[in-house]
Formats: sequence, C-alpha cells, structure tokens
Amino acid sequence: MTAALSGQSSWTDRRGRELVWGLAPALAVLAALTVVPAIYLVVTSLTPLNLAVPNSEWDFSQPLGNYVGMFEDPRFVHSLGVQVKLSVASVLLQLLIGLGVALLLHQNTTVRQLARSWVLVPMVLPPIVVGITWLALFTVDISPIHRFLAWIGLPVGPLLTNPATALWAIVLAGTWQHFPFAMLMALAALQMVPEGPVEAARIDGASRWQVFWHVRLPFIMPTLVVAGLFILIDSVKAFPLIFIMTDGGPGDVTEVTNFYVYRQAFTFSLWGYGSAIAVLIMAGVFVLSYVIDRITTRNDGQWS
Amino acid sequence: MKKLPIARPLSEPQLGTKWAKGVMSSRSVAAVVDHDRRNLLAVGSAALASAAFGLYAPAVIGQAKRFSGTTLNVSCWSASYPSLLAEYVPEFVEQTGAKVNYDTPGLPVYNQRADLELSTKGAGFDVLNITFIFTNRWIGNGWLTPLDPYIRDKNKTSTEFDFADFLPGAVAPLKDNKGVTYGIPWVTDSAMAIATRYDILQASGLGMPETFDDLERFAGLVHKKDDVDGFLTDNHWGFWYIPLLQGYGGNVFRNPPDDLMPTFDSPEAIHSADQIARIVSKYGPQGAGGMAYGQSNEILKAGRANLSFVTHAGGMSVAESSNKAAKTIRFGMMPRGPKGRFPGIASHGWGIPVGSKNKDAAWAFIQWAQSKALLLRMVKDKGLGSVTRSSIFSAPDYRKIIEVNGVDTGQLVLDTIKLGEQGHMKYRTVPVYPQINVLINQAIGRIISGQMSARESMLQAQASAIADLKRAGVRL
Repeated sequence: MTAALSGQSSWTDRRGRELVWGLAPALAVLAALTVVPAIYLVVTSLTPLNLAVPNSEWDFSQPLGNYVGMFEDPRFVHSLGVQVKLSVASVLLQLLIGLGVALLLHQNTTVRQLARSWVLVPMVLPPIVVGITWLALFTVDISPIHRFLAWIGLPVGPLLTNPATALWAIVLAGTWQHFPFAMLMALAALQMVPEGPVEAARIDGASRWQVFWHVRLPFIMPTLVVAGLFILIDSVKAFPLIFIMTDGGPGDVTEVTNFYVYRQAFTFSLWGYGSAIAVLIMAGVFVLSYVIDRITTRNDGQWS
Repeated sequence: MKKLPIARPLSEPQLGTKWAKGVMSSRSVAAVVDHDRRNLLAVGSAALASAAFGLYAPAVIGQAKRFSGTTLNVSCWSASYPSLLAEYVPEFVEQTGAKVNYDTPGLPVYNQRADLELSTKGAGFDVLNITFIFTNRWIGNGWLTPLDPYIRDKNKTSTEFDFADFLPGAVAPLKDNKGVTYGIPWVTDSAMAIATRYDILQASGLGMPETFDDLERFAGLVHKKDDVDGFLTDNHWGFWYIPLLQGYGGNVFRNPPDDLMPTFDSPEAIHSADQIARIVSKYGPQGAGGMAYGQSNEILKAGRANLSFVTHAGGMSVAESSNKAAKTIRFGMMPRGPKGRFPGIASHGWGIPVGSKNKDAAWAFIQWAQSKALLLRMVKDKGLGSVTRSSIFSAPDYRKIIEVNGVDTGQLVLDTIKLGEQGHMKYRTVPVYPQINVLINQAIGRIISGQMSARESMLQAQASAIADLKRAGVRL
C-alpha cells in the first residue's frame, strides 16, 4: 500500500515537473513579451527620462517624483475626469444597446441569423475606418445625419467642436463600434437560460417584461457584469477615435488619460512622466482584471 | 492654370499624415513647361553631364563605384520631394556601388523613430531628414555631424555642388549658434494668405488683406456672399496664431532661444488670440475651429471658404486645375500687424547622424540628392515644386510652373524666406516647442469653442506652459 502510494506520489511529481518543463518555453515567451516590458515601464517611471537630457534614464535621485508630480498636474487630473465620464457612459450605453439587440435577436429565425452577422460588422472594422467614418458623419457639410436632421427641421450644429457634445460624440462612435461585444455576450447568456423557470413564470401569468426582469435578467446578470468590466477596460484604452476625430479637443475636453500619456511620451518626449501615468493605468487595469477573475471564478463555482 | 505639383505642408508633425500626396504626372508637367522646356533641358542636360562626371570631380572622380560594399540607411518623412527621390535612388546606386535602404514613413512616425535613433547616437541611419521643429534639439544636443568640413573638402565635394547656391534663409535653421552647418535644406515652406474666391473680394472693391485688421474686416464683408464663408484655416493654431501674436508685438517666449519664459499672459498674446478666435468663429464654416488640414483643405479647394492662411505647398494644392477654386484663387503675403510681418517658415534638410559609420557615403548621397542636376530633372520630369536653390528659383521656367493666376508665387516664397532673416522663427526650434504647440492649440480651441474668454484661456495656457517647461527641465 505504502509502495503504491509512493509510486503514485512519484508519478504525480514527475507529471508536475513535466508540466513545468512543457510550459516553460511558453512562459518564457510570455515573460519576454509582457513582464519584461512592464518591469522596464515601472523602472522608467522612477526616472525623469527625457530623450533630450543625457543620462536621465539612470537618474533615480527622485524615484517618486513623477508620481508626486502627477497629482499636482491639473491636466492629468482633468484627464482622469474625462476618462471617468467616457468610461461610465461607454459601459452603460454599450450594455444597454447590446442587451437590447440581443433580446431582439434571441429567437432563431433566418432574418435574425442574418442580422446577427451584420450587427457584428462594426466590431471587426479597423478603428481608423470607424474614426474616419464618424468624422464624416459628424461633419455638418457632408453628413447625411446632419442633412436629414436639418431637413426635418431639427438642425444640429457640429458636435465635435462643441465642448458640450464632443465627448458624447466620441462615446456614440465608440458604442457603435463596440456594442456587438456586449450583444454577443448577452445573446450567449440568454441562450443558456433554462426554459423551465421561464415556462413556470408564464404559467403563473407573468408578462413578458416580468419574465425578463424576474427570470432572465438574474440569470444573465453575472455575464453582463463581466461584459461591463471588459468594456470598462476597453474604454481605458480609448485612443484611435479621439486621435482621429478630435485630437483631444476642443481645448482639452476629450483628452482622456491614455491620450495624455501619448502626448507626454511621444509628443513631449517626457518618457519618465508618461511611463508613470501608464503604470497607474496598468495598475487600474490589473485591479479590474482581478475583479473579473473573481467574478468568473465565483460564477463557475455556482454553475458547477 | 495647369495642374501643379503638390508638396505636402512642411510645418508640423500632426499635419503631415493628413496631406494627400499629390505629385503631378510627368506628362502634365511637360505640358506646362512645353515652350520653355528646351532651355530647361539644355541646362539640365549640361548639369547632368557635368554631374555624371563631376559630382566627385576632384580626387574621388576616378574611383568608380567607390562605395561598393557600403550599405546606406536613409530615411525622410513622406513629403513630395523624398517620395519622388525614391525613383532616382537606383541611379545613385549605379554611380557609387553603394546599397541604399531608403524609406519614407509618415511624419509623426518618422519623427519618433529619428528622435529615438539620434538620441541614442545609434548607427542605424546614415542620412536622416532634420525636421524643422527638432532642429534645435537634434543639432543642439550634438546628435548630428557638422557638414562644413565636408563642404570645404574638395576631395569630397564637387564644385558643382555649389553650397552658396542654397537660399540663406533655408540654410539658417540648419546651423547652430556658432554658424556651423548641420543640414542641407531640401525645402523651405512658407506661410501666406490666399483667397479662393478672389472674384468676390474684387466685386466688393477689396484686394488681398494687408493687415490682420484688414483680414477681419474683409472676411466680414465677404462672409456668406455667394454662400461662401469668409475665412477658414486648419486648426493648427500653434502655427497660424503666431504671425498675429508677433505682428502685435508679442512672442511665444520672452527671448527665445535663451529665455524660454512663456509670455501667453501678455496683452499682445491675449489681444491676438481674441482676434484669431473671433475671425474663425464669426466668419468660418460651422465647426471651423476643429477642422484639421484635410477637412479645411477640401472646403478651400471647393471654394466654399474664401480667405485662408496656408503654406505655399498647401496653397498650390488648392490651386490644382481639378479644383473649383483653381481659376479664382489668389495668393498674397501673410498679413502684418502693427509691429511687422512675421510669416511662418519651416526648413527641412538632410543631415548625417553622429553615430553613422558611413559618413563619406552619406555625404555623397546628400550631394547627389540635392545636386542641381538632379533637382532640375525632378522639376522637369516630376514637377517638383519645393526647392531651396536660388539658381532654380531664378530660372524663368521654374517660376512659370509655380505662377498662379498671374501671381508669381515663387516671389512670394522668396520674400517670405527673406523675412525669416528677422529671426522670428527662433521660438519654433527650441526643444520644448512640441509642448507649447499643443498648449496653443488647446488655448485657441477653448476660445473659439466658447469655453473661455481669451484672457482666461491664455492665462491657463501660461500656467500650463510654465508647469510643462519645468517638467521638461527648463530653467525659467
């Protein structure tokens, strides 16, 4: 018995070692591609690295200088505010529209199957194409939307150069591009809802809305939360649409944190400062990823 | 007016990628210069012949393919001239035996790549473009090779090269404070004014605006006449606001390049910011304050906005024969303020990175790329519109190519470059100008969009500029 256990233990150990050896090349590549640059980013954030200042890459005399300076920089703080507005609006809009479209496409009919494919188109378009398309749609002189609105007696001025509407125009374009993701997630979750509780609710006289609100929504809510967190992470990476459509303007009303990092590093050559802000963004994304992981792990446990 | 060669605007990184590349076909250029090409051909052929034998005339002439085995890495951003040059590079390879890796990425990509390469003093490139707004940074930090020893060395430089032929105003930005030359200019783009519907101005008894007050008044008088807006320019205020600022006696910094204390809180800065914002918001099309080059240029080409500030290259693209504005466009000097006329000027030139291991071959490439013979051929064959050699500028054939509706735009360019001798562009070549450029764009954008008054916005720009410059290590 002992010998058998000993043999089993030996086999388990060997399997463990072989797993490690088997995974080692992939882990090494992963580390080279992600961990090493991340470490370099953190190290750089502790320096005042400026390409025009010799030896600034090894100047660790004020390692927290960038981090302290960051919160004394009103433009950085402003960019965080813009980021929060953009992220919250993106998550809410994309989830609502995604869920609404998913409900419409939930039933299996030929038309709806075709529609499902078409609805995915914005998601697979390159961001540059989306940016140029919406830039044209928001340009008063050439936009069919603006012409139509003017034709029905509701003329709308330029949205991208109006400080009150520029950010929301970006959110709208981003929502158009990304809502299919929320739609796919919601659709998949809806199809996993067991028919039993739905039938039971109907037999009890529940209306369609009551069935959705009290039966379907609780089932798909964990999926929607995960989708929302993914959208939130994606919104933090917002860049191409802002770069193409507003360049952060008018003034700085669409200058989100990611765009501010780009300016500091690539336009101003302040790599140390830009890295410090990037580290902060990275930490935020890590926290969100951790939250997603906890939620999905909990859900897996519930389902199993 | 025939179809003209187009060069890209050469002033700023964020504009570079938004300009469509437009190069006139050799056939259409030939049509333009048909009558005068014989002279040009004669000059070109003579120069070509002399170049063929004389480019390395002195000690090096006998050494055919003397750079065999050498690989030159050459990079420039994708303006018209460097793009055209790619077609001729095989000739250099044939003459010298050197292998040439030649690329022309977009301006922002090029600047980032070159900045990184130069700052590490790497040997990855042998010939690089010296981008105008980086001149001080790249030259001042010792990242480029002084070219005077090469220019003076008769063993390395043919007399045909004739360095003195380059326009002094074009070469000046490529020199350091001691007058040492680090670059050979291939373009000097100049800011000027245009009216795409000059006929409307004439019908109102007006000419081209001489002052900024004229500009505001004229734009108001012609606004919406024939459904054409009075004024439009692209939203690069870091370039277009400065002529007003300096025209009213202000400047970006207190005394560039030595004293970089920003001066956006000066009465002149606030007054001029208020005026440019007022002109754009009152007399521009809807959304004019946010229009990037591509958008504004299309509107100008269609003649749907009248007065504008453009670079010469940008104006020539509006004047292309295929555009509606071609027959009614008029060029004029950038208007002046009470303190004078300060049009924007931007020079770009070839330089050799200090880390290059093939400097002699690199210099041979630069000589060839900016030789009279080759430039004449490019003018003749490809309609090259941007040159920096006075001999080509003074050639009647060339001037005829860039004449637009009776206006000798070449003379406007020369006069503008001449104004550069005032030294008013020193503000632009300081290493920290990219930060300031963004701040100006934002400040004027805030005023035009009504977020702030001119005073509030410029005071905010002043505070931000001081913070940014301190962060960049500038002592104020």
